[in-house]
Amino acid sequence: MARKTLGDFEHQVLLAILRQGGESYSVPIVLELEECGGREVAQAAVFIALQRLEKKGLLTSRLDDEAVARTGRVRRYFKTTPLAMQRLRESRRVLSRLWDGLEATLEEA
Amino acid sequence: MPSSSSSPLLPAIPYWLRWIFHLLLNDSDRASALGDLGELYQLRLARDGQRATDCWLHRQWRQYPFRLIAERFRRSTGLQPSPLQGEPRRSEEPVQNLYRDLCHSLRSLGRTPGLSATIIATVGLGIGATTAIFAVVNGVLIQPLPYPQPDRLVKIYTASGANRYPLSVADYLALEEQQTSFDQVAGYGNTTFSFNQGDTAERTLGRRVTWTYFPLLGHTPLHGRLLNASDDLPGAPPVAVVSHSFFSRHLEGDPGAVGKTIRLDGVETTVIGVLGSKAGALEQGKDIFTAAGWDLPPRKGPFFITALGRRLEDVSLTAATEELRAINRRLFPVWQESYDDQQASWGAMDLKEAVVGDTGTTLGIALAAVALVLLIASANAANLLLARANQRRRELAVRTALGASRGQLLQHLFTESAWLALGGALAGLGIAVAGLGWVRSHGADYLPRVHEIGFGPPVVAFLLAVTAGSVILFGLMPALQGSSARANAALRSAIQLSGTTAQRRLRRALVAAQFAVAAPLLIGAGLLVGSLYQLQRVDPGFDPENLLTAGISLPGTSYPDEAATVSFWTEAIRRLEREPGIEAVALADGRPPSEVWQINNFNLMDRPTPAGESQPTGPWVAVTPGYFQAMGIPLQRGRLFEQRDVDEQARVVVVDQTWANRYYPGESPLGRQMQSGGCTSCPPITVVGVVADVKYQGLDQPGDGTTYWPFLISGHDTGFFVIRTSGDPLTAHSPLRRVVADLDPSLPLFRVATAQELIRESLGTPRYLSFLVGTFAAVALLLSIIGIYGVMSYFVQQHTRDIGIRLALGGGQARILGMVVGQGMRLVGIGLAAGVFGAFLLTRLLTSRLFGVAANDPGIFTAAALLMVITAALTCLLPAWRASRLDPARTLRED
Repeated sequence: MARKTLGDFEHQVLLAILRQGGESYSVPIVLELEECGGREVAQAAVFIALQRLEKKGLLTSRLDDEAVARTGRVRRYFKTTPLAMQRLRESRRVLSRLWDGLEATLEEA
Repeated sequence: MPSSSSSPLLPAIPYWLRWIFHLLLNDSDRASALGDLGELYQLRLARDGQRATDCWLHRQWRQYPFRLIAERFRRSTGLQPSPLQGEPRRSEEPVQNLYRDLCHSLRSLGRTPGLSATIIATVGLGIGATTAIFAVVNGVLIQPLPYPQPDRLVKIYTASGANRYPLSVADYLALEEQQTSFDQVAGYGNTTFSFNQGDTAERTLGRRVTWTYFPLLGHTPLHGRLLNASDDLPGAPPVAVVSHSFFSRHLEGDPGAVGKTIRLDGVETTVIGVLGSKAGALEQGKDIFTAAGWDLPPRKGPFFITALGRRLEDVSLTAATEELRAINRRLFPVWQESYDDQQASWGAMDLKEAVVGDTGTTLGIALAAVALVLLIASANAANLLLARANQRRRELAVRTALGASRGQLLQHLFTESAWLALGGALAGLGIAVAGLGWVRSHGADYLPRVHEIGFGPPVVAFLLAVTAGSVILFGLMPALQGSSARANAALRSAIQLSGTTAQRRLRRALVAAQFAVAAPLLIGAGLLVGSLYQLQRVDPGFDPENLLTAGISLPGTSYPDEAATVSFWTEAIRRLEREPGIEAVALADGRPPSEVWQINNFNLMDRPTPAGESQPTGPWVAVTPGYFQAMGIPLQRGRLFEQRDVDEQARVVVVDQTWANRYYPGESPLGRQMQSGGCTSCPPITVVGVVADVKYQGLDQPGDGTTYWPFLISGHDTGFFVIRTSGDPLTAHSPLRRVVADLDPSLPLFRVATAQELIRESLGTPRYLSFLVGTFAAVALLLSIIGIYGVMSYFVQQHTRDIGIRLALGGGQARILGMVVGQGMRLVGIGLAAGVFGAFLLTRLLTSRLFGVAANDPGIFTAAALLMVITAALTCLLPAWRASRLDPARTLRED
């Protein structure tokens, strides 16, 4: 069976949402990623990553009815799910272990 | 376009991009995506300024379509972006993946240029030929006629028994007056005009039409006007509408030529209008249209008018036909004295059906043949790609080891096939364009509507569909095989050197399938070639060696009566007979083997046709007394025509053997009398002689029984010279031209041809069909042989060790040869068995195109099968010979 995997970029998008308080829409996510990564991020990439994460059950989404009523703008908010939190914790644990003791090596390189 | 496709915060979205958004995203996703993009745009505008933000926006626009399409593709194929969390393929960016796959596939194909070129060439040939034939089918059979509301157009004809023939002037005038089922009816008779320009005279094909002809078909003039009712009155000043081709060739394309006169059949005729360059199927090859100006005739015949009608919107074809029959019944008693075939009635058929005729069968055969070639080409390409996937097992194993999923491998391999298909499509496009150019310039003799054949949207759609179909045919199986888990496991083990068992089986199955598809094609080609051979062997009934024929037509203005025409014909014959090298000269109004201008009905006086039954019909050929000698047709009984028949205006005919056997079996037909053309008041005609049979209605048609009647007493103004020479028949052309020019310099000769050329022309359709299917069959055989060669070469490579051991243990070279050839022939045998069975079912479709051979002719089936077996065996011998020459010691050492 094909595993529902989590790519680098999807990982980053999830973290950006967490940094926005666990719920956000694509504009602040793009800005957050650009600020942290120091390079331009395509909005299309974020838009598709959000759709894909929702399909994987790592995000849920809702349309912001207030924004629609107030500005006529349709804005879709995405919120991390407990499954996303579990995957992120697992990912951090694995990466932390792998990094452990490597600082010196990295410095030397 | 809905408003949600745009955002008030954004500048105008490119139109094409709006469509992509509309197609790939639902309303709310589209609105939120564009809304967020608009918000980002405004933020950047405030921060970075207009110019930088516009550049950014363009980058965003470029990103969106590719990403959306790639995502849709990924979802529809279920491909995972990456099997490994955080692996370095950056699988979160499928666009880059796809782009990289595209680039990498192209490089990868470039490393095997021979193989890539072979696949592109073979698949391109299949795609191109299939598309070209489809374009012909589309232009000729599928597309409606290029007239307004073409489904309402019908052709009206007279039907008597199985015969269908045109209407007469009397018929047409009654039809025009009495019908209520049609918006309009029109009539025309084909003719040739002698067109004089300066000192030269040219025979031009044309048509005498009623004034309703052009409005009925919805024609509008390019210049000037078309005919009107007053032009069509008997005795009206002569006017002509000319084709665009005539306008360009003879009137220098000058619109000022409208209103000026041209000389047609010796008469100054005013050009009143020019048709557009794309006139229509009915006008193909016709240059001049003059007003018919028909007046009520003294008798019902002759029958030479093609009548057309445009049905009223609410009248069905059946209802219209019923009315036509009713008019014909009312008309019968009026003309009974000169026409008493009560069975003859009127009918109507769809005009397109009448124009297209039976070309559907020929084109259907060609399309089926070329589709089979495409199948074989695809199987061949699949085989080559399977071999390639096998060669690349290490590379694929490395990819798998590095974490590439099956989906990724599948995408990569399929991308390669897509490139090859694209190359094939481009090559096919070139082949199709060239093929269609050839058909348009050379096909008019064999096909109707050739000027309507082109690359319209249906043909482009077909090309794309065939390309997509072929990429699935030849790309899917190798891609699935190359990316399969079992294959990868085997590849990783790096033990098996020649691919998995499944791969080997698949390749063998493909080769067998190629032979299975090639067999019916080769058998079909064999049947058509056999049929052509039989046709060429048919005795035409005359001696075609050293015989020249040429047509000539005497315009009514210069030759107003029978005395004038007879004087011209007699003098021309007399002068030609005196020319050196000319042995005999005669005139006739028809030319064997397939040109007869009159099919006449007749009533035998001693065996009259019972009331209510149709009279017998047969070809009637008017000839001068010297015709039989000039043509080499032997007299069998009675006498031939003599000068006294002409002098006495004798009502005599000579019949052929088939006629005699049909109407007077076991009796002498000499002295028997008949009345022709349904005329009951005309004096009877007497049979005075019987000659051998000659083919006048095609070499493939059984004789209907020909009747010959005297040319010089029947007031003919058009005839064909038949000149027997002592040497090369073309040497008679120059004296013929000179004699005619001496008598009347304004008369052009037309359709000059030797009898051998006439025979060749009559076999044009069977010849080009045999050539077409034969070529496809040869290509199919070649591709199948390439297939078997590839598979057997791999077999030898795969069994090198085996063969080495056998040779080391004393196995003779002959046994090795036998083993390898036997392996190959097993595949060929399986394919051939299936193919021959298929051919038994398929060749029945050829029946209507076969002559002298049965659709399941055992000789041709056997010959085709033997040809395939022998060529395949010879092909297998090559790898087998290499195998038998292996050095066992070296083979085992290497192993």
